Amino acid sequence: MKILVSIKQVPDLESRFKLNEKGNWVVESDLAFRLNEYDEYAIEEAVRLKEKIGTDDVDITVLSIGPERVKEVIKKALAMGIDRGIYIKDNEAFSKDPFRIATIIHECVKDHGYDIIFTGMQSNDRSSCQVGVFLGELLGISTITTIIGFEYNNNVVTVKRELEGGKKMVLKCRLPLLLTCQLGLNTPRYPTLPNIMKAKKKEIKEYDVNDFDKITNNITITKLNYPEKKSKAEFLEGSVSDIAPKLVKIIKSKI
Amino acid sequence: MFSTREIYWNVGHSVLIPMYLFAFIAISILFYGFYKRYKVYKKGKPENRFDNIFQRLKYFLSNLFLQRKVLKVLSVGSIHALLFWSFLILFIGTTLIFIQADILNPLFGFKFLKGNFYKLFSLALDLAGFVAIVAVLTFIVRRFIIKPNGLETTKDDIIIHTLLLIILFSGFIVEGLRIAQTEINLENNLKLFSPIGMLFSNFFTTLSENSLLISHKLVWWAHFIFSIIFISVIPYLKLRHIFTTPTNYFFKDYRPKGKLATIDIEDESREVFGVNDIKEYTWKDIFDSDACTKCKRCQDSCPAYSTKKPLSPMKVVNDINKISFNFAEHNSLIDVVGRDAIWSCTTCMACQEACPADIEHIRKIIDMRRYLVLMDGEFPGEEVQLSINNIEVNGNPFGNSFADREKWIEGSGVTLLSEDSNVDIMYFVGCYASYDPRNIKIAKSFIKICESAHIKVGLLGKEEKCCGDPARKIGNEYLYQMIAKENIENINKYNIKKIVTTCPHCFNTLSKDYKDLGLTAEVVPYIKYISQLIKENKIHLQKQNFDCTYHDSCYVGRYNNLFEEQRNIIKLLGGNLKEMEKHHLESFCCGGGGGRIIADEKLGEKISVKRIEMAKATGQPIIVSNCPFCLTMFEDGIKIAEYEHLLKTKDIAELIEEHIENRGH
Amino acid sequence: MSVLLIGEYRENKFFESAYDLVGYAKKYNKTFEMFAVGNKGETPNIKEKLYLADSNKYNEYNPVVHKELITALVNKNNYNEIVFLHSSYGWDLAPRLAYDIGASLITGVIDIAGEEFIKPVMNGKLNAHIKPDKEKLVLTIQSGTFSYEPDRKETGEIVDYDLAVTKSPIEFISYEEAATLGVDLSKADIIVSVGRGIGKKENIKNAEELAKYLKGELGASRPIVDAGWLDYSRQVGLTGQTVSPKLYIACGISGSIQHLAGMKKSNYIIAINTDKDAPIAEIADILVVADANEVIKELTKLINQ
Repeated sequence: MKILVSIKQVPDLESRFKLNEKGNWVVESDLAFRLNEYDEYAIEEAVRLKEKIGTDDVDITVLSIGPERVKEVIKKALAMGIDRGIYIKDNEAFSKDPFRIATIIHECVKDHGYDIIFTGMQSNDRSSCQVGVFLGELLGISTITTIIGFEYNNNVVTVKRELEGGKKMVLKCRLPLLLTCQLGLNTPRYPTLPNIMKAKKKEIKEYDVNDFDKITNNITITKLNYPEKKSKAEFLEGSVSDIAPKLVKIIKSKI
Repeated sequence: MFSTREIYWNVGHSVLIPMYLFAFIAISILFYGFYKRYKVYKKGKPENRFDNIFQRLKYFLSNLFLQRKVLKVLSVGSIHALLFWSFLILFIGTTLIFIQADILNPLFGFKFLKGNFYKLFSLALDLAGFVAIVAVLTFIVRRFIIKPNGLETTKDDIIIHTLLLIILFSGFIVEGLRIAQTEINLENNLKLFSPIGMLFSNFFTTLSENSLLISHKLVWWAHFIFSIIFISVIPYLKLRHIFTTPTNYFFKDYRPKGKLATIDIEDESREVFGVNDIKEYTWKDIFDSDACTKCKRCQDSCPAYSTKKPLSPMKVVNDINKISFNFAEHNSLIDVVGRDAIWSCTTCMACQEACPADIEHIRKIIDMRRYLVLMDGEFPGEEVQLSINNIEVNGNPFGNSFADREKWIEGSGVTLLSEDSNVDIMYFVGCYASYDPRNIKIAKSFIKICESAHIKVGLLGKEEKCCGDPARKIGNEYLYQMIAKENIENINKYNIKKIVTTCPHCFNTLSKDYKDLGLTAEVVPYIKYISQLIKENKIHLQKQNFDCTYHDSCYVGRYNNLFEEQRNIIKLLGGNLKEMEKHHLESFCCGGGGGRIIADEKLGEKISVKRIEMAKATGQPIIVSNCPFCLTMFEDGIKIAEYEHLLKTKDIAELIEEHIENRGH
Repeated sequence: MSVLLIGEYRENKFFESAYDLVGYAKKYNKTFEMFAVGNKGETPNIKEKLYLADSNKYNEYNPVVHKELITALVNKNNYNEIVFLHSSYGWDLAPRLAYDIGASLITGVIDIAGEEFIKPVMNGKLNAHIKPDKEKLVLTIQSGTFSYEPDRKETGEIVDYDLAVTKSPIEFISYEEAATLGVDLSKADIIVSVGRGIGKKENIKNAEELAKYLKGELGASRPIVDAGWLDYSRQVGLTGQTVSPKLYIACGISGSIQHLAGMKKSNYIIAINTDKDAPIAEIADILVVADANEVIKELTKLINQ
């Protein structure tokens, strides 16, 4: 069985964001980067599936696009148990829209014959929720999003989708299949030191994005700006009987 | 008439051959027993404890003969010391008899056990025997009648106490019988120099000579046989501590206190990191477990144990012993010791401080943590994994942006090394003082103190990362080394010669652990640094009387023997210091060490609250400490105990800054 | 510019949040029609035309089939803007439609500025202005942004919509109720959280009542849990749960760094604290300088009315 996990390296959201000169993205210095949270669950589920079926019968590939620093998250995925990596070098990845990213991935993997593809349902930075589904459509395989439960039995997959209000939906589907993972699907493992060391020897195939980038953007970010939010709180003072009605109004407008 | 006695009186010299034969057998059994144990010690990895031989011998001799560590708990320790010294005297006595009876007399016809020397000899041995009996009886009362909490009694104890009583009493009975026959009517009243023997002899004066002589022979043999048995069983019972415990004094750790072994994580041939099998320990760890006498002093001083957590340092050591010597069925050492026990340790070192056998408990626990984290990716809770992840991504356990690490500096006038590296000292701030509002105050106070002394301070700012202490102590050696190397690289690139810390965890990690990874700069804790500035008259303080108590942080006191500098400072500031019930080396942990600061305290009671109760009991309104973990734990503890109106926390830096003369000018 | 709104049905009921779509259209003065897969027994209160496909036939969740239904409708009526909710239904279906009809897709929209659509990025720290490059546009709108109160007497034309479609490879098995074991604060939309400033343990029930009336959850800062006043599952913070509700009311919480780490992603933060300098003021939208317990009691009274 061949599995693909598509992951993204995102800025850590605790960072303070400064806009670049053009104003259409953020400055990278002073940003810490990390593996997209949703992708952690994707990696973990793939590794668990491999452990369940039998490690000799399953091969998992992890793929990521971006500048050199992106190799860090590929290595983390390898240290969690993925077998090999694909790194598509692209210093301008931030400027490409989700559909374009999906087509790049598609161009790269369309002949690889993956049975299951796991990816995060969205990324922490753009939160578009698009790449996964677009990739599934491009490949022409079944796609299910927002899974918080996964079971595999003889080519048939049973998943649980997470709905609003904590409700779940149970679905069944055959392979090949692409699944986008929601937080809480599993508990991602912490890479063990022996695995970190083994990961150093695993293969990472490098490509240049121009090998796969065939289209232009469908949408463009023209600029970013800071939402109107006071950096310090507005004070509400006075007697409780004065304050309370004002507060009720505010509360009602926010829920 | 000579004052002496006939050695082998009544039993005759014919006993020599069987006696030496039995002795030989007993000693062979003794040696064999220890040899078997030696083979188990050797299962562990190598470790050099043979350096500084002279220093080791000195320590060994003083602790063995003066019973120093044993006497730290005077009430019980004194009984053991008395038992030890009396047996020492008895042993010397027996040796003297052996030398005369089996070497000097037959070979050279020389006898020295006569005259006044013999009188002294006899008196000493009698008193020693008496003291020994009283000591053993006291122990029996303590162990079997009083039954102190947590004291485990096993078959070993029953056998040992029984043997001791039999040997001691039979010894006096033999003496009594002999005196009844040979000394009872002597004009020189020699018997007075065997007072106990004399007392015993009063019971036998009514016996016929024949019964007396036969009884004497029988009891002599009984005494001998039980002594032989005693010698043979030493390695198989707790009695082995006679040899193992003093030997452990010789093998004491002379490395910087609290420094852990640095694992070579680049070693590709290494398959196992941390310990889940006793083979992964060093021989010293296994030997340690053999030096334990289950005195429970470690358990009594453990803050986790005293707050009802499932950790007993004594039990950890005993579990290791049981498994090493195959008395416990196991696949995994960690399963036997128990994860809750392993994670509960705060590395406060009270156990090691209290242990009269110099056992090193902490590294054994950390090694098991290393296995859990590095081999299984297991942590005590999800919150810990989150903090570890935060340290990885942003260099601090809170998850705040690494770039915000220099935010607190705004307006304080300190230089960033990246802008100007020509400084007097580099201040390694630490995570809490950089991000936590309560602790930022301490960093600012320290800066003000340096300012008033015209010291130019440089900071790494956002180039500084967590020192790695919580990660390392929770078992994550890999993350610790990664982040340490980053810090060292950044420190070295500015050619820093002197680093000052306000956090003792940063201090210990940088001054001891970082030495293995290439840091050569001098690291000074702020208390020492400020003390020096005061001595050099660079800071001028005004006295303003206040009442306080003081908490000896584990990583300041026990780890570095730093107790008086801060007390002197407090006095200088006008502080009226009332000590808490546990202070100096016996100080009670706040609960934040050993990586516990990033974990939830879910089991038992809160350690911080227990310490706050001790502070409250002093009646003082301020508790002074000098560690951000202690400060944080005490703030929490005060809130939980609802003592906000009774107690306030203060770091010593804050106190000093408040007392700087003409501050604000 | 003609707009098609994609409504949703959940368990045979029209999904209330889907009225946000109407709110969106009304806000920007867009005329629209609506499509939904649902049942005739429960139709939305709109006067605009609704194309209704039978959920008994096509199932409420069936992205492959729903996509075909919508694509056909789009091609027939030539809509150039198709709007979904940014919901588990919407973000799942919208990309499939966009791919099929070759449209630009913008997800999570909160506002429009001229030709550009605005959506939050970096977890709301920044807003992105996005320009679509294709003629046709598919959108998903962020729930809670365009609220709309329908006139419950309103009705409109309902057109039965039927089409031959491919058999779906995805088989719907069942719905499952949300688990009630423990409290999952991370999914709560409204949280009323208590700290030491709440005063006595007995005061917590006031906060609990307020949370109930707001249909929210009760949270706590660490000292409350440590003191045993509330269960650990209520703890919000670095060593508790990380939450991101629409509304977080922090009652008597000073805002230790560990607590802030767990709740600063909240959309709107009201802090009630007698201390103006409490650290929580740095991230709160409003700091109510008053006794938390008193305010809570008064709020509960008023909200009830």
